[in-house]
Amino acid sequence: MNFDFTDDQVSLRDAVQRWVEKGFSFERRHALAKAGGKTRDVYREFAELGLTGVAVPTDHGGLGFGAVEAMVVMEELGRGLVNAPYAAAALVAPTLLAQGDASVQATWLPRIADGSALVVLAQQERGARYRLDAPSTVASQAAGGWALTGLKHLVPAGDEADAFLVPARVGPHAIGPVGLFLVERGRCTVRGYPTQDGARAADVSLANAPASLVLTDAGAALELGLDVGIAAACAEAVGLMDKLVALTALYMNTRRQFGVAIASFQALRHRMADVKMQLELARSMSYYASLKLGEPAAQRRRALSQAKVQLGQSMRFVGQQCIQLHGGIGVTDEVSASHYFKRLTMLEMAYGDTLHHLGEVSERMVDTAGVFA
Amino acid sequence: MDLTFTAEQTAFRHQIRDWVAANLPPDISHKVHNALHLTRDDHQRWARQLGKQGWLGWAWPKEFGGPGWNAVQRHLFEEECALAGAPRVMPFGPVMVAPVIMAFGTPEQQRRFLPGIASGDVWWSQGYSEPGAGSDLASLKCKAERKGDYYIVNGQKTWTTLGQYGEWIFCLVRTSSEGKPQTGISFLLIDMKTPGVSVRPIIMLDGGHEVNEVWFDNVEVPADQLIGEENKGWTYAKHLLSHERTNIADVNRAKRELERLKRIAKAEGVWDDPRFRDQIALLEVDIVALEMLVLRVLSAETAGKQTLDIAGLLKIRGSEIQQRYSELMMLAGGPFTLPFIKEAMAAGWQGDHVGAAHCAPLASTYFNYRKTTIYGGSNEVQRNIVAQTVLGS
Repeated sequence: MNFDFTDDQVSLRDAVQRWVEKGFSFERRHALAKAGGKTRDVYREFAELGLTGVAVPTDHGGLGFGAVEAMVVMEELGRGLVNAPYAAAALVAPTLLAQGDASVQATWLPRIADGSALVVLAQQERGARYRLDAPSTVASQAAGGWALTGLKHLVPAGDEADAFLVPARVGPHAIGPVGLFLVERGRCTVRGYPTQDGARAADVSLANAPASLVLTDAGAALELGLDVGIAAACAEAVGLMDKLVALTALYMNTRRQFGVAIASFQALRHRMADVKMQLELARSMSYYASLKLGEPAAQRRRALSQAKVQLGQSMRFVGQQCIQLHGGIGVTDEVSASHYFKRLTMLEMAYGDTLHHLGEVSERMVDTAGVFA
Repeated sequence: MDLTFTAEQTAFRHQIRDWVAANLPPDISHKVHNALHLTRDDHQRWARQLGKQGWLGWAWPKEFGGPGWNAVQRHLFEEECALAGAPRVMPFGPVMVAPVIMAFGTPEQQRRFLPGIASGDVWWSQGYSEPGAGSDLASLKCKAERKGDYYIVNGQKTWTTLGQYGEWIFCLVRTSSEGKPQTGISFLLIDMKTPGVSVRPIIMLDGGHEVNEVWFDNVEVPADQLIGEENKGWTYAKHLLSHERTNIADVNRAKRELERLKRIAKAEGVWDDPRFRDQIALLEVDIVALEMLVLRVLSAETAGKQTLDIAGLLKIRGSEIQQRYSELMMLAGGPFTLPFIKEAMAAGWQGDHVGAAHCAPLASTYFNYRKTTIYGGSNEVQRNIVAQTVLGS
């Protein structure tokens, strides 16, 4: 039992940190967001850094790194408020593909590893909320292949992606195996739009779109993919909160009212202590999330939902309170704190919100004295 | 980074588990698992059992007869004891005063006092708080005046936990009123059988006699029972408070109590109510997160690193969780927790319970546990300390 990072992990963190400091200023982020939130250029810089290969197996040209390395990268991207779809494209998508059809892997994984292809999961449907087991998108067998019909929403960087991984119902029954398919963007109708955090998403409409089969029964693979997404969201949130708390502490020591720094007021100091509590509980559970990714499915699923419940609560509390502690300037566009808050708010809903995962924990509760860690 | 314990640590855990299974009297663990009243004899039997094994001072270094365990081993020992239903070791002797005697006592004082603490034969009490000195402990007034080979002690201590059983008491006393309040405090060991010492019960809101006032009326204390130097007692008291930071979170006991909550919820029919069950799920998440926080501190301590700035969070979170599980247990029992039949909260009562036997102590425990966010430095004082680490001033 230890929480130490290896030298390689520290170097990886340093590399991402250096890139953020040199290449991703708040001004650049602001300009990207103002221009509509397209970030494919940023993604190309990830590729130059080698970050796009982190989760791709080595025999497909990737680095084959583990969950802790992914966590380290996500923490730093969070700290830097980087609004490019790294988790979706470089962590979740290769996790899904690596469990699927060999020829699809061979075609796409090397291109994901070198950053030349951007592939993202397109799972959100109107009626499904956070459930994946009953999509209304239907896959049917056409001559020599598959065709998909349905509508997916909130697909990250949808109008910049090269292809989508699409869960769809296989066969005529509403309840049955969910398959996973790869559809190239040119085969769909895509409507992109900006999101609250200055990034972009899209609706992807499929009308008998030709698709490659990745997995016929993708239930277990999708669960793992989403758990990888949860761990990434947790780590990103920790980076975001770390920086937001530091910015807030700085502000409280600088801002003066009634002739003194507002950091001297006990009402605000106690609020800050509560913020620190939520930050450290979140960091602890983010570690837990990443370290539990390799466990058997039942334990992993339970642990990742537990983590998302903690992180969801922490994100909301830390975000809201840090805005409050900033006072009026906190609710303006010019201060970076408000942008950290907005990103945190989006992450609470990424891969299932707090209430959804509380339900998951509640359903999985068993007598477990002494076996959490 | 790795969450799993090493093979050696796991073997150590099993060694402790087997020993506890063989040596913890079942009548005692039955009481602990069911929150029934523990007598002085229950506490003493378990303390002496640990003492015989050399584990009552489980955090002691080898040179003073302790096992010399590292932070992880200590945690595993505490966890195995808690999960098996062992009573919490009364900390006043082995956890609080012993490290002070080791660090600042004379070799003679160490020879005189440590064996009785290690064996569990001598019951120690703590004399810190006074009616006018709670969170502001340094304002304490209980006075000790040097007269020849004695200190003459006059004044009052309060909130002395189980002081009615106490044989010795360690006290912070005022030996000087000059300078800052902290600089005139001394650390005295006092035999509670000395003439002039009297103990008066304070009955708590749950009806229990758990704490006391201790009065000193011209009590003659031999000067060789002063620890270290006169007027340096505050330094020693701070040393005491720096010990056992992770154990204060009591996460192991919380894990045991979570299981009791689940059992009660099932028996009372609220387990299948999603609104109630979600509250238990939320508590489960809180406990996992607290455990991870504790393990992070342990990992840093084992690696010999400066303790993280999160140690101050442990008391706040641990005490909030204790209150929460006691609250949920009471709510699970509902109206059946409302009868106040003291005999029903002790083991072996043959009377008719109102509803299930497990409901009898739940409301009293809930009332009693309001203390957890007040004692040991109120959570508001703890927040002051945490805020300082974040804000840097």
